[in-house]
Amino acid sequence: MYYFSQALIAIFLFSAQTTWLELFSFGGVTPDLILVWVVYCAVRCSRAGGIGAGIVLGLVQDGLSGGVLGVNTLSKGLIAYFFSTLKDKFYVEGVIPIGIFLILSSIFDGLVFYFSIGTILKGEVTSRFLYQLLPVYSIYNALIGPFMFVVLDKIGAWLQPKTPNSYMGMTR
Amino acid sequence: MPRKGNKRNIVLVLAILLFSLALMTLNVKQEKGVRFLDSIAGVILSPFQNFFTQTIQSVSNSINHYFFLVDVARQNDQLKLEVQRLISEKNQLIERLASQKRLAKLMAHEDDWEKRAVVASVIGRDATQWSKVVVINKGTQNGIKDHLAVITDAGVIGQVIHAGINTSKVLLIVDGRSAVDALFQGSRASGVVVGVGEDECLMKFVPNTADVEVGDPVLSSGLGGIFPKGLIIGKVSQVFRKKQGLFQEIILIPSSDLSRLEEVLVLLP
Repeated sequence: MYYFSQALIAIFLFSAQTTWLELFSFGGVTPDLILVWVVYCAVRCSRAGGIGAGIVLGLVQDGLSGGVLGVNTLSKGLIAYFFSTLKDKFYVEGVIPIGIFLILSSIFDGLVFYFSIGTILKGEVTSRFLYQLLPVYSIYNALIGPFMFVVLDKIGAWLQPKTPNSYMGMTR
Repeated sequence: MPRKGNKRNIVLVLAILLFSLALMTLNVKQEKGVRFLDSIAGVILSPFQNFFTQTIQSVSNSINHYFFLVDVARQNDQLKLEVQRLISEKNQLIERLASQKRLAKLMAHEDDWEKRAVVASVIGRDATQWSKVVVINKGTQNGIKDHLAVITDAGVIGQVIHAGINTSKVLLIVDGRSAVDALFQGSRASGVVVGVGEDECLMKFVPNTADVEVGDPVLSSGLGGIFPKGLIIGKVSQVFRKKQGLFQEIILIPSSDLSRLEEVLVLLP
């Protein structure tokens, strides 16, 4: 039941990301629902579960994007690793800590892309990316993230009584 | 104990790095096994993308054609039901007509070329924020292969970068990795149109001596073997002439509205 529900969430998030989320773009930037979910898994799940989720979601995102396979796996995998480590050292509840985690992870995600397009992909990217697009992207993710955390928490709580065993080692 | 923890952390980070780098290397070398991952993800998600895209189009149609009539319909329940039915029917017909008009425009262009073409619908966009890629609902089953030109009635939009079984990824001309050899319709000066990951393109390597004005149309030159000669790419929106240096810096607006793509034409070899 747990894995089935996670698969449904993944299908919904990936479908939304690749279809109607474009309608909510602001200045040509849309939020990254997968990034928010990776941070959620890193913060809420066990260390192994969080890192595993980061790598798998990054890999799927790579498969559904036109970039080089491995860029998102690297970025999401490392984000999941860092935040699953940091969650024991910081109090991650409430809008502000979650928002800060998401701003940091968005900046890291954008920088990984920025360096990969300049090196591996041999493409062009303007400096506007760093001082305009990346800040908007980070703030957008930070604004939408807490809301997604609440929704994912509710789904988790709804599933909990039906599966007495812990979900992938959830720490809550 | 902390040493053991540190060791484990280093191993974990190294494992993530190595795995990602291995994937990148295999991908750059175009290994078939890695491309298979792309296809699998596309096959699983394409029905959901189709569903979402069609739902959005229906909702958008309803909002455009129906929303403002709600107040009127409230006056009479029977009339409202009748109006709803008629509007729904009308919307379907308008949509069908619009689609037919777009297809007719596309197919009219087909006669101009000796190449065959496949009409495809855009069903999704890139799963990441930064790549400018769209997914179309036709793949190798329909004769689509990598590196085929993709156009609309307004002009060039990009090229196929990965043809899956029943879906394909199209790299738009505004993506940072896209480069199309081009020339100006008037002056015939040539250059290369590259994307920068935004809504505009950059035209590089145009000599400072070339006579370029804002509004000049830019066409594909036919060099490179992907895009046939003479397809419109866009129009010049800004020209920066440097006092020093060999080339001008030219910004183009693509002729097709790349944020509102619905049907496209893939030119077969």
